Amino acid sequence: MPDIHSRTLGHRERLRALLTNPRYLMVYATIGIFLLIYLFGALLYGSKGFTSVRTFMLFFSDNAYIGISAVGMTLVLITGGIDLSVAAVASLTGMIIAYGTTVLGLHPLVCILIALLAGVGLGALMGACIQYLNVPPFITTLTGMFFARGVTSLISRESISIKHSMIDALAGFKIYLTWPNAQGEWVKIKPVASIDLNTIAFLVVIVIGAIILQRTRFGRNVYAIGGNEQSASLMGLPVARTKVLVYSFNGLCSVLAGIAYVLYVKSGWNLSLQGAELDVISACVIGGVMLSGGVGYMFGTLFGVLLKATIPAIITFNGAMNSWWAKIFTSVLLLLFIMIQRAVIASSQRTRRK
Amino acid sequence: MKKAIASGNFLRSKLFWAIVAELLILLVGFILRPDFLSIQLRTLSDGTTVLFGTPVDILNRASEITIIAMGMTLVIALGGTDISVGALVAVSGAIALKFLRWDVLVYNTPGDYTVQPFYLVILLPLLACTLMGLFNGALIGKLKIQPIIATLILMVGGRGIAQIVTDGKQFTTQYTPFKFIGNGSILGLPLPIIITLVVVLGVMLFVRRTSFGMFVESVGINPNASRVSGLKSGTIILIAYVLTGFLSGISGLIYASRISSNDSNNAGLGYEMDAILAVVIGGTSMTGGKFSLTGTVVGSLIIRTITTLVLYFGVVSEAIMAFKALIIAVVIVLQSEPVRNAISRRRDRIRTQMGGEARA
Repeated sequence: MPDIHSRTLGHRERLRALLTNPRYLMVYATIGIFLLIYLFGALLYGSKGFTSVRTFMLFFSDNAYIGISAVGMTLVLITGGIDLSVAAVASLTGMIIAYGTTVLGLHPLVCILIALLAGVGLGALMGACIQYLNVPPFITTLTGMFFARGVTSLISRESISIKHSMIDALAGFKIYLTWPNAQGEWVKIKPVASIDLNTIAFLVVIVIGAIILQRTRFGRNVYAIGGNEQSASLMGLPVARTKVLVYSFNGLCSVLAGIAYVLYVKSGWNLSLQGAELDVISACVIGGVMLSGGVGYMFGTLFGVLLKATIPAIITFNGAMNSWWAKIFTSVLLLLFIMIQRAVIASSQRTRRK
Repeated sequence: MKKAIASGNFLRSKLFWAIVAELLILLVGFILRPDFLSIQLRTLSDGTTVLFGTPVDILNRASEITIIAMGMTLVIALGGTDISVGALVAVSGAIALKFLRWDVLVYNTPGDYTVQPFYLVILLPLLACTLMGLFNGALIGKLKIQPIIATLILMVGGRGIAQIVTDGKQFTTQYTPFKFIGNGSILGLPLPIIITLVVVLGVMLFVRRTSFGMFVESVGINPNASRVSGLKSGTIILIAYVLTGFLSGISGLIYASRISSNDSNNAGLGYEMDAILAVVIGGTSMTGGKFSLTGTVVGSLIIRTITTLVLYFGVVSEAIMAFKALIIAVVIVLQSEPVRNAISRRRDRIRTQMGGEARA
């Protein structure tokens, strides 16, 4: 069947089909609005360096921990669930690494291993609770969040800064972007821009997430459960296993996000990342993931994170505005996107009725 | 036989388990510290007599959550959630303090006066929160947007609004009538408890004496069937969110009055979580349908009792969350469908066995 399909459609038709496919409409909306806001920033603050490669790379490295966590969250949201514990688990990871290396004198890798066990274990436990005990995801993960935050506070209430050669080396790792000058020598571009480890991790995790979602049986099961859990289970898909795995994977992403955050701030604090779970969820929603489940793409999430990153950047470049405006603009964006979602759903229902 | 069925239902009821949990927690407190349950009447230096003691303190400190949870119960019974209430608490306090203190002398006087008329200081925050509730309700009831996401907008934006109202500043006030809301007492009973009682009774009367409660349950169980049979489900949803917004405003005034200040960053932080937990522990299902306002009050008291108990034994305040999580996890697992069914099935089996023996 796919063969006939590709033979009858030429390249141009296929491109048109891709562009007008209503499934991708929300992702296009996200990309379009990102470009619009970026253009807006470029027109206003282009002379101050808003359009520089450096600023663009900072979108990635400053928001890597949000992005990494958003990958796991996208999967959870597509199954129709929600996970409020991500920021707390990331904060716990930071605390385990900080306390382990500086107070207990453990090797960072050992600490990361402990954090992985804790994060993935908690994720699996929450998934099992949601699946087998029928407790709503909101309540389960809320309890998980309380638990992780509480344990973090029990370990230490003070901010611990991390001094370890390996963490320093990882955090300091940078690939400077270069280009050839008139003499053909490779020199650093000005202003200096670089790709750090967090940016690489962010992009790698996004790509892995996209492959899992689009190219594996597991990914298809995730969409099927989000579309209609009952039908999925009647079709004989492994609903229970998939759901527990999704929450475990999200736990893994939270730990990775925590590691990225540690590399970003080089400290652990029990109050760090407070409310970041909302940043992650709103990045996914802006990226076109529907909270009702069944719809969402990693590509959309990537642009959701970038779009959310441009707003504080514009406010910083403005300089005169209170940083609280960022919150208000983000909420306006959220409103805009759920309106678009609403319109897309309404129009698809109308076409179905025809 | 009839009695056996009734008690079987009783064991299946979540409210029963919630009350058992509350009593158990109180018992633990009493065993660990015998003065945990004592109440005394003390006379303050200014001649007023006030009730003192941990139970009074639990009731007093539970008021903010209990008030919000009343509205939240209806919202959850309708199959929704409102996660913006914490931000609304911050907005309420910010507006109140803005009208109490916004003058040139703001940093030179203790502020034992009010700049705007006092009724405005009370009414405008309530009005603002009601309007925000209307915004939530319109998105969810009329535009049919998912509740979590619709209220996420104000949860993110609300604290921003609170900061902008007060220009990012924190004001303090010494105006006695305002401080009375959270710190005063009438006939020995702290005022927040009285406000809570009024709110709880008011909502209960509104819900059970009119047909509103029935409409809520009907829409919560099946919105489409309710709409087809002539209920304006959108309007019912709208009213529930408006009510929750209004109640968050009251809660915000109590909080601001307690600390005699506005704190846009920390006021109402995590209230949405506590309120939702109070409702769920109280036996209202997150999937909507039947609700229990009494259960919600018990749920709110459970949360506050845990907090008080843990604080009593000198655990750092941030770590309370871990204990809360553990105890709530136990309550939720006990209440979850499979476990409850298993317990009552076992009961039934034992009873039928015993009945059989007696008959033999």
